[in-house]
Amino acid sequence: MSLNDRQKREQELDEEIGSHLRMAERDLIERGETPEEARYAARREMGNESLIKEVTRGIWGGNWMSTLFQDLRYGLRVLRRNPGFTLIAVFTLALGISATTAIFSVVYGVLLRPLPYDRPDQLVKVSEKSSKGQEMNLADLNFQDFRAQNRSLQGLAEFSSGAASVSGGSEPKRLVVASVSSDFFPIMRVSPIRGRGFAPEDQRPGAGAVALVSYSYWKQYLNSTDDLSSVRLRAENRSASVVGVLPPGFRFPDDADVWIPRELAPFLPARSAHNWEGIARLRDGVTLDQARDDLSAIAGAIKKQYGENVDLVAASVQPLQEALTSTVRSSLLILLGAVGFLLLVACANVMNLLLAQAAARESELAIRSALGASRGRMVRQFMAETLLLSLVGGAIGVLAALWGVHWLLKLAPSETPGLAGVSINLPVLFFAFGLCVVVAVGLGTFTALRSGSDDIRTTLAEGGRGSASSFSTQFIGRGIVVMQLAITMTLLIGSGLLGRSLLRVLSVDPGFRTEHVVTIDLALPPAFAPDQKIRRVQFLNDLFSRLSVVPGVEDVGGTNALPLATGISSYGGFAVLNPQQLSPRMLDILNRSARSNVWDDTALAKDLNDFFGAFGALFRDPKQGGSADYASVSEGYFRSLGIPLLRGRLFEDRDTMNAPHVALISESLAREKWPNEDPIGHSIEFGDMDGDLRLLTIVGVVGDVREASLETPPRPTIYVNYRQRPQSTYRFSAVVRTAGDPASVIVSARKIVRDLDPDVPPSTSSFTAIFAASTAARRFNLLLFGIFAGTALLLAIAGIYGVLAYSVARRTREMGVRMALGASAGNVMRLVLGQAAVTTFVGVFLGLVGSFILTRFLQSMLYEVGVADPLTFGAVALLLIGVALLAAYLPARRATKVDPIVALRYE
Amino acid sequence: MPRKQPYQNRIELLQGTLDMLILQTLRWGPQHGYGISQAIRSQSGEVFQVDTGSLYPALHRLQKQGWIDSEWKVSENRQRVKEYRLTAQGKKQLASERTRWKQVMEAMAGILNPSAGESKV
Repeated sequence: MSLNDRQKREQELDEEIGSHLRMAERDLIERGETPEEARYAARREMGNESLIKEVTRGIWGGNWMSTLFQDLRYGLRVLRRNPGFTLIAVFTLALGISATTAIFSVVYGVLLRPLPYDRPDQLVKVSEKSSKGQEMNLADLNFQDFRAQNRSLQGLAEFSSGAASVSGGSEPKRLVVASVSSDFFPIMRVSPIRGRGFAPEDQRPGAGAVALVSYSYWKQYLNSTDDLSSVRLRAENRSASVVGVLPPGFRFPDDADVWIPRELAPFLPARSAHNWEGIARLRDGVTLDQARDDLSAIAGAIKKQYGENVDLVAASVQPLQEALTSTVRSSLLILLGAVGFLLLVACANVMNLLLAQAAARESELAIRSALGASRGRMVRQFMAETLLLSLVGGAIGVLAALWGVHWLLKLAPSETPGLAGVSINLPVLFFAFGLCVVVAVGLGTFTALRSGSDDIRTTLAEGGRGSASSFSTQFIGRGIVVMQLAITMTLLIGSGLLGRSLLRVLSVDPGFRTEHVVTIDLALPPAFAPDQKIRRVQFLNDLFSRLSVVPGVEDVGGTNALPLATGISSYGGFAVLNPQQLSPRMLDILNRSARSNVWDDTALAKDLNDFFGAFGALFRDPKQGGSADYASVSEGYFRSLGIPLLRGRLFEDRDTMNAPHVALISESLAREKWPNEDPIGHSIEFGDMDGDLRLLTIVGVVGDVREASLETPPRPTIYVNYRQRPQSTYRFSAVVRTAGDPASVIVSARKIVRDLDPDVPPSTSSFTAIFAASTAARRFNLLLFGIFAGTALLLAIAGIYGVLAYSVARRTREMGVRMALGASAGNVMRLVLGQAAVTTFVGVFLGLVGSFILTRFLQSMLYEVGVADPLTFGAVALLLIGVALLAAYLPARRATKVDPIVALRYE
Repeated sequence: MPRKQPYQNRIELLQGTLDMLILQTLRWGPQHGYGISQAIRSQSGEVFQVDTGSLYPALHRLQKQGWIDSEWKVSENRQRVKEYRLTAQGKKQLASERTRWKQVMEAMAGILNPSAGESKV
């Protein structure tokens, strides 16, 4: 309907109603009433003329746009007329919306954004599941059965990845190299943009080594060459020809830069060597549960067939995205919940502002209503106002969130997966806009309901002073403050619990010292032939001796599993075994294992299985056997990290490859296995870890160390000597204790490594930095929680102050009367403070109850602090009460300063 | 909003019946709003009170639905008045509303006056 049409219709409506009135008037005059009386009677009978017109206009329809426009224009005028109110409300909303948007952008980028692969919903991670419900990587034989027998997958591939030294490009680099089985790329649905992918003949045992490289590696280190035929990379002890370049952005798994066929590594005919991660693509229409049931049935059959010799009982099938983000999922969702609470507190403040606004506008609203504004129209008007507020607040909020996200990304622990995908993108903007609308509708409905409930005539009669209606307004205002305090309390308690957890974690004794220690991570060629192992030992010996003479170096050592950094990844079964228990055949297997190596000798691999089968009962016997972490270290490792030697001796130069093999055990293992005797001199079988079955004679006991994390209690550990057991020292961390500043030592250390082998680029760090990184996630969560709680607290204080100040201002007359009738300043002070106290106590009580219910969600983020930690609950309650009463003191004091005479004249 | 207090002892129209009464009134020929309200009032023996606040929205609604049409005429007092008249569609609508009303009346009568119905007690 055009504006002209509309005006015409308006005029016609006026005329129509006008003629109705005239006709009614004339009839009344004909019945004998005076013209004066007739006019009043006709109007009385007609009722509210504007309302009739308004309703009739509503029937025409199609005018919502113009109504909305009108509402918005009017709203803008109202907001402009109260700049103070508008500024505070917009700022408060912007605060809440920006924080929520920023956190949501992280949640979206990390948890919700679909992975950048084709049909990412079909990609799953497949693992074996132990009887304890633990997820384990796949063992080769089990993988084969899963792959051959399943009916639910389009494909199943195994892969592993790790840091490796790669040379052949413009300079040697330490990169992640992924080893992937034949179905990997078809499952990911990724094909090279240059060259070709792996062909079936590349993925046969014994095939010539080939490699694919990432787009970024190709650009940076292969000069974007179009001629791949001449490019050969040396990685993982092989020379591989580069056959293709993968599309930009594809770095799965673990930001890999080089992919090689898994078949280059030997197949291990074992069912409990959990060396490979599994990835699969579901068939079309197959659900997760169906796939899980399918694979678990296969796992069940394996378990049934092999019994005690296998440790899987079922299979786990998890969406890939979930598997990649499992470590951060719960904490991100908790942060989102926390910031949602902050938004609620912010909205509560705006609600109270609007309430005060509405009260001040009571007469205006009453007049509008009397002039014919329908209820719906008034609600729309409020909506328009709150929509304006929230949209302006939202726009500012999104701008602030741009900065907030930048800041979040800088602060977030670097190992958080998917951080690269975090930004203020379209879905996040949609979210922010939705948030604004929800906030606007919520606030608008609330104010409309509130202000519609008073009787127009009473309001008009009161002339807008509204002391009677103010009772319920104040009651609701205080109710809002109660909710605000309760929510703030929950946030404060959450931060308190997280803070106490961090303190607990930091006060943990890790069992080693971190100060003045430089770490040098090396990725050596993973070669296992005896002569190559000896070469590796020689390399490390040289490294240690050259590092030890660098000025400022106090101690030098090394390990294949640096605590807190890589964690000890090898964990397996050992048995206390007397050499006399070995039959000639077993002794033969044992001796062969010392000369050859399980990776290259399939006959030996089979014999090894027999060996462990024969002693299976021993490994499972809780008295004789057990599980322990495995680490191949040098004696200097203990000295550098300050791990104490409690009994016996450390490794020495005489413990060479051909001397009897020795081991050090951790204190907890000594206590567990030899509670009443000296463990030194006993021999243990731990060959499952490195394929060398020779017994290890215990020569010393060292202190316990928290390897996996500060939060994980130390696990029993068996340390072997890097000179005797070099099998797994191809990823090695040298640790150097320095007298002073580690920085100068780092420079020399890098030079020494380059001199020894230019193709092994080291990665250096200080152990203090590694230690700090291990608590980075905790600090990050605490920081954000603390910021949210602190902001909520400020808002709540503003809320309680605002409500009380407003109440005192509205009750000036009452205060004046009270004081005129003899109330002392103390009485008045007590009155106001008492009101504040009741509000605060109710809020704190609700907050305690709410926290009691909600903190259980924090459980996974807490350490040695109960979810209902009384100290935290108590301290936060006291803090909140103290702060709230302080905020109430100012208005209370103002109330005592009321001059009765002025107050009674007021208004 | 305050509840409106009836100032005359008249029965307020049943919800939904106003449309039917308007259509019925217009069966006797074109009529303006005031005329319609007077007709309903007098034909109901002064019992039904047509609220002007309901009448005009109802007229505009019926017109929007195409059941009535309007035209500006000059009345006998030389006043410009807006007259409404029934359309063909409106006649059909009236017939169907009458049928429905009859059903309602019979049902009501059955309930309020069981002996008059066919119930076997």
